[in-house]
Amino acid sequence: MSRLALALLLAAAPSLAAAPTSPAPAGGIDAPRGGPLSGAELDARTNEIGGLLRCPVCQGLSVADSPSSMARNMKAEVRDKLAAGYDREQILTYFERSYGEFVRLDPPMRGVNWLVWFGPVAVLVAGGGVVAWAIKRSARNSGAAQATDPGSVPSDLPSRDTLPADARLAEAVRRTRELAYDWPGGVPPKPRPLPS
Amino acid sequence: MIPMLGRALVLLALLAASGGALVGFATGARPTALGWLWARRLAYAFAAFMALANLLMEYALLSHDFSVSYVAHVGSRSVPTWVSMVSLWSSLEGSILFWGLVMGVYVAVATRQNRDKHPEYMPYAVGVWLACGAFFSFLLAGPAQPFATVPGPPLDGPGPNALLQNHFLMVIHPPFLYSGYVGMTIPFGLACAALLVGRLGHDFIRPLRNFLLLPWIFLTVAIVLGGWWAYEVLGWGGYWAWDPVENASFLPWLTATAALHSALLVERKGVLKAWTVTLVIGTYLLTILGTFMTRSGVFNSVHSFTQSAIGPTILVFLAAALIFAVVLLTLRVNALAPEGRLETGPSRDVVFLVQNLLFVLFTFTVLLGTVFPLVVEAARGVQMSVGRPYFDRMSVPIGVCLLFVMGVGPALPWGRATGRQLRSALLPPLFTAAALAVLGFVLGVRNPWTLLALFFGGFTAQVTVSELLLPVRQRMRSHGESFLEAFGQARQRGQRRFGAYIVHAGALLAIVAIAVSSTMGTSKEIQLRQGESTTLGAYSLTFVNAERVSEPHRESVLARMDVSKNGRPIGSLYPRMNQYESQREPIGTPAVRTSLTEDLYLSIHNIDPGNRTVGLLVLVNPMVGWIWIATAIMALGGLLALMPAWRGARVPVTERARVATASPEGSS
Amino acid sequence: MATAPLPDAPARASRVNPWVLGAGLAVVVPLLAVLVLNLGRDPHSIRSPLVGRAAPAFSLAPVGGGAPVSLASLRGRPVVINFWATWCVPCFEEHAALTASARTFGDVQFLGVVYEDDEARTKAFLADRGSSYPALLDPDGRTAIAYGVFGVPETFFIDGAGRIAEKFVGPLNRATIASLIAKAKGGGP
Repeated sequence: MSRLALALLLAAAPSLAAAPTSPAPAGGIDAPRGGPLSGAELDARTNEIGGLLRCPVCQGLSVADSPSSMARNMKAEVRDKLAAGYDREQILTYFERSYGEFVRLDPPMRGVNWLVWFGPVAVLVAGGGVVAWAIKRSARNSGAAQATDPGSVPSDLPSRDTLPADARLAEAVRRTRELAYDWPGGVPPKPRPLPS
Repeated sequence: MIPMLGRALVLLALLAASGGALVGFATGARPTALGWLWARRLAYAFAAFMALANLLMEYALLSHDFSVSYVAHVGSRSVPTWVSMVSLWSSLEGSILFWGLVMGVYVAVATRQNRDKHPEYMPYAVGVWLACGAFFSFLLAGPAQPFATVPGPPLDGPGPNALLQNHFLMVIHPPFLYSGYVGMTIPFGLACAALLVGRLGHDFIRPLRNFLLLPWIFLTVAIVLGGWWAYEVLGWGGYWAWDPVENASFLPWLTATAALHSALLVERKGVLKAWTVTLVIGTYLLTILGTFMTRSGVFNSVHSFTQSAIGPTILVFLAAALIFAVVLLTLRVNALAPEGRLETGPSRDVVFLVQNLLFVLFTFTVLLGTVFPLVVEAARGVQMSVGRPYFDRMSVPIGVCLLFVMGVGPALPWGRATGRQLRSALLPPLFTAAALAVLGFVLGVRNPWTLLALFFGGFTAQVTVSELLLPVRQRMRSHGESFLEAFGQARQRGQRRFGAYIVHAGALLAIVAIAVSSTMGTSKEIQLRQGESTTLGAYSLTFVNAERVSEPHRESVLARMDVSKNGRPIGSLYPRMNQYESQREPIGTPAVRTSLTEDLYLSIHNIDPGNRTVGLLVLVNPMVGWIWIATAIMALGGLLALMPAWRGARVPVTERARVATASPEGSS
Repeated sequence: MATAPLPDAPARASRVNPWVLGAGLAVVVPLLAVLVLNLGRDPHSIRSPLVGRAAPAFSLAPVGGGAPVSLASLRGRPVVINFWATWCVPCFEEHAALTASARTFGDVQFLGVVYEDDEARTKAFLADRGSSYPALLDPDGRTAIAYGVFGVPETFFIDGAGRIAEKFVGPLNRATIASLIAKAKGGGP
């Protein structure tokens, strides 16, 4: 089961690797760090970064999706900055200086934000452990006197309230219960019958 | 007169519910026939008073009685009649009144159906239902009064929110949503009853499962209707934005789906009783949390209402319900001991557990992301957002894993699988898996997650079809029936299993369609002058003209766009920009042309009829139509799975044993 | 007792399950705490991060033409920048207050920046209502974005050193203008 845990952890790794890391913006965004873009790549990157910025006057829409004029102005600003060669983090920082961390749709890794990135991974690993423990515990706990090969048990599983479907087994269980628990017919007496 | 009558009805509902809850709990603790009779009567009374109150409100809305506060709030003489009817659930207090109606109907039906069954559980269940009903009646009597009297009634009202008048989907989305959401109260009551009694008998898992499945069907349809509404009305070209209120409807769906699956294990093996009960209780608590998220004004959302006294009141109820649940589980969970054992090693059991884990993980992640801005504000004092990029990134791997598990699980046998069984179960579907992935690659799919989704989708599709037809093949072999005969017989005898696999088929189609439509779309933003054309993909669009249309409640400008595909003209689309009297900003309505392969989506950003220019967003979204079709398939499958319970079709025990022994790989 | 165990109920070590209690509290307590702490919060009012920081530079042409006005050239005096538009009803209300205050506070430079509006309408509005300070045009809304403007009216009070002393959202009256100017002159947050 430790392999299961390892597999889960590896599966979670790509999500973690994609978490943006950046400290809170302090000064200006200085000189462009990347190279200038143009053409189809400029369009694609504008859309990509537009998708990471929240339109301030809309309800939860990104700048890329929002039709409002403020969003379109912001998108044009993103485009200009990309064409000038600024990189993604610089552009996001620029808008964050004006609007606050609120404008970033993807929570950057700072302060208590790590919780939103690691929380799901922790639950995955912990959950995997619980599943493993449940299976092991169930294997130890033999439960009621049931068949050891569940594949051939009929779907009407016998329980405290009914008798097994198999006729010979039902007879045996019925006699046992009558003798041991004093249950007439092998089923528990109707608890507190209520006439409707 | 109407306000007074309405308030009286609400008060009576409150009395019936409170009294009924007390009687229910007392009868559960000390059972008597009279107690049970009165618990039932008070349940029916609660339902009747709520129904009457709703009818009265509809009458007030349709007759434009502005002395009723809710009508003064959302009524209007200048809106079409259907909008007036629909206004019942369009706004805060009215929607709570509607909640009461749906709850009343559910409680009445559930009580009547079980009036002479499960005697030790039912009084407790009715008690819990009516306690919840009492809370909502209290809301209607106090903080969220729809029937308050307006001292100087105005001559006309503002009408409901303009966005809600844009599309007929507004008529059916809330009723479906409430039928799903509120319906979760019933299994909650049954689960609490099981805990209060101290056992979950084999006979009781069936009503629990059925009353979980029915709201589940409604909720599934409602969630997708919401997405469809966002797609057709909001104009940004997508159908899901992980808005807090969208998430509020999605969270209980996730836990309910997990509960439906673990209930199967309870029925088959008598294991996971406590876990299933926990999931069902969690589902209900999530609906209350969801209603708090929607109505408290604390969350930043499209649906947000302004802050009022309702928020804190719901929070108090949520806190009480959470504490009640934790205490009840702590004291009683040990009583729900398992009667069987789970299989270790590769088997369907283990896959079920993994699937449950994935659903719980999904629930946790969406909940965490939705609540996180509040956490950060409390901890760091900073306002931040958790938006689509985060949720998409988290949900894609989980969704793909669920798709995988949905294929592996049914392929494996119930018992511990031998190596040979594993190979014969898991290798053949790889053909369809690879075929679909290759097909996708050839058609231009390059996104690795989408390719993986196609791969697993193909795998799951083959497994699902194979499992669906398994009893048919067996019948053809053992009884010599023709395919159609065998199909009909197998469906009739194992309708639940049949329905379940149809739901799986719909679910896998939905996941694949979502994967393809979110990664393979193309878009273009362009300004066009009259007569100018533009192209996107195989489509060519010409802006012909702009025309004005006047309606009583809005002025619209329509842009006529002539569309041709691959050179052949295929008609015209009319995206529009609507100016409502009550709004400063105009609201656009996109025009969507749906075909089996893709949608052509046009949304106006700005339009100037004088200058004859239009600013347009053009999208080509592949496979979006399949999402709606897949949801219909899921609903149909759910109904099929539910129907044997209502028809009371019970195959005799001996017959079932014979069928079961004839299919060792495990029928349902 | 209502919940007496049936005869063959499995033996239980205790009636209380500590794991469930622990897990339950671990979920319930933080969730309720977060929700309670956030009651009363208005998610739509976003605090500006620019208060206390250097005001973003700009150089904008006034309505009706003329030499561009740059923020840098005004260093040394307090500046009041009011973002407004002709379609904004609260802006009408505060226009009179701002015009009068601009005349009163001669040492403070008042500037209006027009937000998402067109020049002709703005000129007509100012001709109709008069003005005592320049109205600047902001093509493409770049300056509004730099100042983190969500809507109109929003007003920034900048001190002599070029730092934003305060941001006020909503229509102003003369008393508020006076007190915020005093704050900007006093220096510091």
